[in-house]
Amino acid sequence: MKPHVIRYLIKEGCRNTWQNRLMAFASVGVLICCLLLTGFSYLLFVNVDHMFQNAYEQNVMAVYLDSDQDEEAVRRIGDTLQGMSNVASLSFLSKEEFLAQYGEALADNTMESFQGENNPLPDTYIVSLRDLALFQQTLDAISAIDGVEEVSYDANTAATLTKVRQVVLVVGGSIIVVLLAVSLFIIVNTIKLTVYNRRLEIYIMKSVGATDSFIRFPFVVEGMLLGLIAGGVGFGLISLLYKVLYSHFSFDNPLLSLVPFSQEWLPLLVGFLAGGTLVGVCGSIISMSKYLKQEGGLRS
Amino acid sequence: MIEFQGVYKTYQTGSHALEDVNLHIDDGEFAFIVGASGAGKSTFLKLIMREETPTAGEVIVNNYRLSRLKRNQVPYFRRTMGIVFQDFRLINTMTVFENVAFSMRVIGKKKKEIDRTVKHVLRVLDLHEKANRYPLELSGGEQQRVGLARALVNKPALIIADEPTGNVDPQMSHDIVEMLTQINEKGTTVLMVTHEHELVHQFDHRVITLEKGHIVSDTGAPMRPATVSLGSLAAEAGGDTL
Repeated sequence: MKPHVIRYLIKEGCRNTWQNRLMAFASVGVLICCLLLTGFSYLLFVNVDHMFQNAYEQNVMAVYLDSDQDEEAVRRIGDTLQGMSNVASLSFLSKEEFLAQYGEALADNTMESFQGENNPLPDTYIVSLRDLALFQQTLDAISAIDGVEEVSYDANTAATLTKVRQVVLVVGGSIIVVLLAVSLFIIVNTIKLTVYNRRLEIYIMKSVGATDSFIRFPFVVEGMLLGLIAGGVGFGLISLLYKVLYSHFSFDNPLLSLVPFSQEWLPLLVGFLAGGTLVGVCGSIISMSKYLKQEGGLRS
Repeated sequence: MIEFQGVYKTYQTGSHALEDVNLHIDDGEFAFIVGASGAGKSTFLKLIMREETPTAGEVIVNNYRLSRLKRNQVPYFRRTMGIVFQDFRLINTMTVFENVAFSMRVIGKKKKEIDRTVKHVLRVLDLHEKANRYPLELSGGEQQRVGLARALVNKPALIIADEPTGNVDPQMSHDIVEMLTQINEKGTTVLMVTHEHELVHQFDHRVITLEKGHIVSDTGAPMRPATVSLGSLAAEAGGDTL
């Protein structure tokens, strides 16, 4: 297509949107509702995931080192652990600190007998993992490090958290896919009405020899415009609503606190604009193609 | 040029719209297609416009063999013809100028060329003073002239007029056929479908009569001396000939 034709078609798309503003308003409204539902599903998933992440961080492994390790060996083991991709955080607990922390439960004479060379507790690294789904691989890798005597962990919690997170991921993902499909279905039918309202124009275009792509282009521009408007307005609404929720439901307990909007605004904005545009454009293409194929004959 | 070679058209309902139609209309001819309702006139036009394809036989229009035409070639084929409708089919939200220009815009013509050509065509059809009016502000005859301007503006080789006088008074009907005649005299082939026998007899053009899907009579092209020029019309309007 020549540049002047593209310019004309873009202008036509904008003009058509304005001329059919009532229908455009309906389409944008429907799209905003769908985007809001999808956005809230996403935020729900993000928050649930955030809670699991917090739970993960509290689910730690204690890596006990062999008692005959010198300082250099202990540091080397620490470096190896730090270099593992699934290790989220690492802290070192020397055998003296270990005794100081847990020795209070012991009788005084017992505590005294454990001082210095007689301390039976090992130097220990406390490791928290990024992804509990990789728990077993990480455990095997840590156990295989030279100088590691034993790794202590709560396997059941890890397995349960992993399973629940996977379920949340699948359910959340499915809800988003279903909502996007519903949005597409609704927008296809709304644009079909717009196309039907303009059947005379389409008919005349066909009668004078306009190509299908020429006829389709302004509708695609219109779909894109509606999608962008719906995405922008939807994003504004969800940011307002979420901020209200955030101010009412922020707890001190990190397990129950909501993710601040400042952490999620960018993926949401991109998602809303891209999602709105994609649904608008696909909706236009689908409804126009169907119309041109089934009813776009020359005579009405 | 329009040619029908042993054309049959049977719809899925089983109705036989056309049966063994053989016809040749030369470039530059003016032909009326007449017939009662259900005679097959609509199917005849649909086949010419490549809205339908024949069940058997071959239709050739403006050197396009329509049975071999691919879907993406149809728009380019349609650019070789202009269509005038009984109910005008003007877009009421566009002015007269925009309605006519629309035909050129949708085939990608440049604004400068559109402005020049549309102004000229409106002048030739005596519509230049109504250029900024909307269709609903015009009389039936004026609306049909806008429809005619829209069909003419891309300088097609063939004009198909589908009952163009159906919604106008007898005087305007005569004027419309007169205009089509003048357009034809410049070399454009004109095919006009009508059921107004009286109107047809006022002009010396070929008349093809359809009845129950068959051609029952064809007067053939009348023998004429030298043709009159459309130049007089254009000269009156102060523009080039179409």
